[in-house]
Amino acid sequence: MTEGRADLPEGGTTVLMLGNPNVGKSALFNRMTGANAVVSNYPGTTVDFTRGTFIEGGHTYTIVDVPGTYSLEPRDAAEEVAVRMLRDCPDATVMIVLDATKIDRGLYITLEVMERGMPCIVAVNMMDAAHEKKITVDIAALQRLLGVPVVSTTATSGEGVRTLAEQIRKAQVANLGGIAKRLRGEEPRTESLRACGGCGGC
Amino acid sequence: MRIKLSDLPFGATAVVREIQTSAHDLNCLGLRIGKELKMVTKQPIKGPVVVILGELEIAMGLETAEQIVVETGVDR
Repeated sequence: MTEGRADLPEGGTTVLMLGNPNVGKSALFNRMTGANAVVSNYPGTTVDFTRGTFIEGGHTYTIVDVPGTYSLEPRDAAEEVAVRMLRDCPDATVMIVLDATKIDRGLYITLEVMERGMPCIVAVNMMDAAHEKKITVDIAALQRLLGVPVVSTTATSGEGVRTLAEQIRKAQVANLGGIAKRLRGEEPRTESLRACGGCGGC
Repeated sequence: MRIKLSDLPFGATAVVREIQTSAHDLNCLGLRIGKELKMVTKQPIKGPVVVILGELEIAMGLETAEQIVVETGVDR
């Protein structure tokens, strides 16, 4: 693990981990890389990026834990880091991390990232907290709607993290027009879906 | 009845009808038109206002709250 403003990337595929503050990005990052980024239960813990690597299916991924941001129009220094990372790594894959208990807020930045035309994968984290609050998230429906892989995770217990790592290679550029059509019910929900439900066969 | 969010009494619920300030800044925090919210904290001496929308707790300056129009007495 390296910290600070080191040059990116180091080789392999760069994965930028992006999402609202306090959704568990750093916890997920630690789970995936075995690193020890500082994790706390309040927003704004990560103000600079942290980088680590992991190998999945023989492919090396450089994963970057980006400070949490509510939007891509920065309002503070930490948000500026996030926006700069996206700009400086145009070839990166973006892993958007959502809080399962606050999905609607996370979807705002999800769509902002998707507008940039970068390959995306969505991790719906904190599923344990959602279960406790009796909130259910229809992961399959979200995946059909967005047309990119969506994986449910609980970073604190490690649940779903393996699947998330496996699914990164299936990340794809979202078709915003398709999402809008599916929302209006104009397109069969399964037609434009290239990321399957996770059989792992492709 | 439509009032400014800053005038919403403590503990009262209302539906967001109009955002007269930067809608983007509030939208990305989860506060959007049509959302139901509840006033949870109002601080004295022009202090911040905290509202709760479902699972979301959003704090904002009084000046921002003055530019949000909410409707009370909406039956949901």
